[in-house]
Amino acid sequence: MNPGLLLVSAFGGALLTYLFGKISSRLRDGFSVLVSLALVVMIGFLFNKSGTESIYFNFLGLPLILRINMLSWFFAAAVSALGALSVIFSLSYMKDQERTDFYYLMLLLANTSMLGIVFSGDLVSFFIFWEIMSWSTFLLISYNRGNALAAGMKYIIMSLIGSVCMLFGILYLYAAYGTLNITTLAAMMSAASSGRFLFLLILFGIAFAIKNAVMPLHTWLPDAYTEAPSPFTAVLSGMLTRMGIYGFLLIMYVIVGATHSLSTGSGWITYHHILSWLGAVTIVIPTFIAMLQNDAKKLLAWHGIGQGGYMILGISFGTNLALAGGIFHTLNHAIYIVLLFMSVAAVEYRTGGERDLNSLGGLIKKMPVAFLGGLLGICGLIGMPLTNGFVSKWLIYKTLILEGSPFLAFAALIGTWGTVLSVYKFLHNLFLGQLPEKYKDIKRSPFSMQLPIVILSFTILLFGVLPGIPLRVINAIGVSFGFKSLSVNLYGIATETGALNTINLFAAILVFYAIVWFVLRVSPRFTSVSQEDTYAAGAGIPRDKYHFTVDFYNPLYRMIKPYLKDYVDIFYTKLAGWTQNVCGNVRRVYTGFVGHYILYIVLFLAVLIFIQIKWSLW
Amino acid sequence: MQIVEIILSPLLAVIIGIFFLGLSRKIMARIQWRYGPPITQPFIDLIRLFSQRSVSHGHLFNFGIILSVAGSLMVVLFIPFGQMHPMSGSGGLLVILYIMLLAPLGLALSGGEAANPNTSIGISRQLILALGYEVPLLLVLLAVMTHYQTISIVQIVSEQQSTGWALFSSPLFVSGIAYFLIIPAILGMRPFEIIQAPQEISSGPMVEYGGPFLALATIQHALNIFIGLALFVNLFLSGAGNPLIFFLKMLIVFVLGLIINAVYPRLRIEQAVQYLWRWPTLVALIGLVVVMVVR
Repeated sequence: MNPGLLLVSAFGGALLTYLFGKISSRLRDGFSVLVSLALVVMIGFLFNKSGTESIYFNFLGLPLILRINMLSWFFAAAVSALGALSVIFSLSYMKDQERTDFYYLMLLLANTSMLGIVFSGDLVSFFIFWEIMSWSTFLLISYNRGNALAAGMKYIIMSLIGSVCMLFGILYLYAAYGTLNITTLAAMMSAASSGRFLFLLILFGIAFAIKNAVMPLHTWLPDAYTEAPSPFTAVLSGMLTRMGIYGFLLIMYVIVGATHSLSTGSGWITYHHILSWLGAVTIVIPTFIAMLQNDAKKLLAWHGIGQGGYMILGISFGTNLALAGGIFHTLNHAIYIVLLFMSVAAVEYRTGGERDLNSLGGLIKKMPVAFLGGLLGICGLIGMPLTNGFVSKWLIYKTLILEGSPFLAFAALIGTWGTVLSVYKFLHNLFLGQLPEKYKDIKRSPFSMQLPIVILSFTILLFGVLPGIPLRVINAIGVSFGFKSLSVNLYGIATETGALNTINLFAAILVFYAIVWFVLRVSPRFTSVSQEDTYAAGAGIPRDKYHFTVDFYNPLYRMIKPYLKDYVDIFYTKLAGWTQNVCGNVRRVYTGFVGHYILYIVLFLAVLIFIQIKWSLW
Repeated sequence: MQIVEIILSPLLAVIIGIFFLGLSRKIMARIQWRYGPPITQPFIDLIRLFSQRSVSHGHLFNFGIILSVAGSLMVVLFIPFGQMHPMSGSGGLLVILYIMLLAPLGLALSGGEAANPNTSIGISRQLILALGYEVPLLLVLLAVMTHYQTISIVQIVSEQQSTGWALFSSPLFVSGIAYFLIIPAILGMRPFEIIQAPQEISSGPMVEYGGPFLALATIQHALNIFIGLALFVNLFLSGAGNPLIFFLKMLIVFVLGLIINAVYPRLRIEQAVQYLWRWPTLVALIGLVVVMVVR
């Protein structure tokens, strides 16, 4: 088993799925699930392997190389597992849609290109896979047409700006060193000047910050997440956006190296400081903007940006603890955000595309599995103890406090409280409170939707109680970057400055829960009543359902709303409009008459001659 | 020994918390020139509630309230009480901060399934208020953790026992004041009893609870009082050598806070947040800057 074979079968599987779709839709569905599960198994066999292989020798005179190590395996495993779950989820979600063959082709292609990115051993193949990913994502975001076209356009324009920056950086590297092999580059780079480091870090940083939606470059994300078909939003939010984190790890820790990348700059203005403060801003502002959203997917999308800030904070600190936190949070975030988007999609599927938080409610008794997913998802997102999000956030906070950055820690911690408010609103307005009359006869989600939700919910708890399972792999990544090994055990992490022990937490909560449950059990019996049987202090709740959702945090909204406009987006939109105007004006010059063009040429020559006569420059 | 502590400290916490509930009613009454109920009234109420029948709105309704009481009991294990700190070695102050989330979230989930609009309004107020006091609280906690260079609360206490109370030490004095300013909001005392506000939203999150459920909710409230005070005593008054001194310190802080705040009428929720984000936050921010400068 090697990465080359893996990528070939992934590409082949994607194309065959499309072709099978032309024969029968059932065949296509079965085959796409088979392909994505096969990828998971194949990547499972690649565990703990390392090595490189050349796949093609003469692309513009450069060899294309694939390589595998712990870092790429970790990301590949997450990509393939979440990809498979999302394909399974798509089965019933996409059943009645049109152009499904195309959808599956693009979904599998996006997954394949992500695998390609993490297995690339040189920057040319990295760039090629990166572009395949960008374009397949663009096609899927604009799949639904209408608003989705604008969202897709926004995405692809920003993505192209990033790609241009990256291409520029790659060409610069090639001009300077004559090779694009990552391992060779890493060895050659260690002697470079700090100006060169800064230049490269900024160029690649822009590309990866756009993909990871770091704060001033985030504006593509909310629209893209909202408009894409929900199962694909899961892929997009889970791993695809986080290819930015992979990119940051690659440039900062593999190519440039930890010591150089963190100390580049002078005084307080170093790469490390700027990146970590950008991370902090990315946590706070989007989290509070999320509170104001009324569209379930948009609310989650803003959290997608906000949680990206935690990862950036983690990887920008460059200690083994913070790095482990950052990488672990990437995985954890992927798990719970995919779960949350699936939970929303399940509701959307049954309510006929409704995801407005003001018009749903009370679905807990109708869709218990979707509710379970939503509940565990938000617990992970908050970072509740015993869910996976807690462990990674704990690692990050601990570093921030002990490294003497309390203001960054404050940003991260207050982001958590903003999260509590907005995700409770999310859960309450979808599943709790009163059930509207029109959803009285709603059915449960189909099995192919329940299965991924149950698997992911279980994973959240598993990684929360036994964080050692992924942390061992992450620790190996840290060691491969040249950091000291952490003392990780199955149920937590021990450091010189205080340990984390999740098994203790788990046992304590279990015991206390049992005790309180027992107290409730032995006290007099309670009877179950319906939602109409509530006490309203004599006022009488109207017969038609009465659900408190609109402006859930109204007093707070009134206070914070003026400060939380997305000024960056407004600025970009104005810039785009202005550019369009200028280009429109320029276009008027091209009239299409040969006479006019000759006139321009004559005028231009006249100006040149005038300049020459006057100042004799040439 | 550890087993004894694990059993004893939550039990003591519940009893002390309920005692504070009774005490606050009595003191409040005396300030308002009433006679007031006996201090043991909340105990009597609890016994009565546990023997009454009640209604439930579903599994999450039961799960949420149990989770919130269990979460609060768990926090108690992490906070040193005198020299009792059975579980403080499992993650420090950061874990305490996060387990403290279980209680409000549990209540919110439970209340959410109750499907009563008053409950929802109450929960929305509760979460807003929590965001309000969490801003200064986090600044204060970060100042303490940064000053002592540790996230372990046991270590913070033991450092104070050798170097003196943090409240009267030069860099943490300001932070201590900020914490004292937000104690009423954390404990849900006057003028911050916005969440329940019986006259407006018929007890908010409590409205659907009766019998044992209401008893559990009361116990949760009592534990919340205990936790808020115990944190202050540990972080700023150097904890204590034995539970009795610890209790006396808590009592003094509680009565002081109560007397100062008893005369204010209830704030509206936005007034509360405005207050919390203005003065306590400003003081806490100054405190953190002072700590950073001194380091």
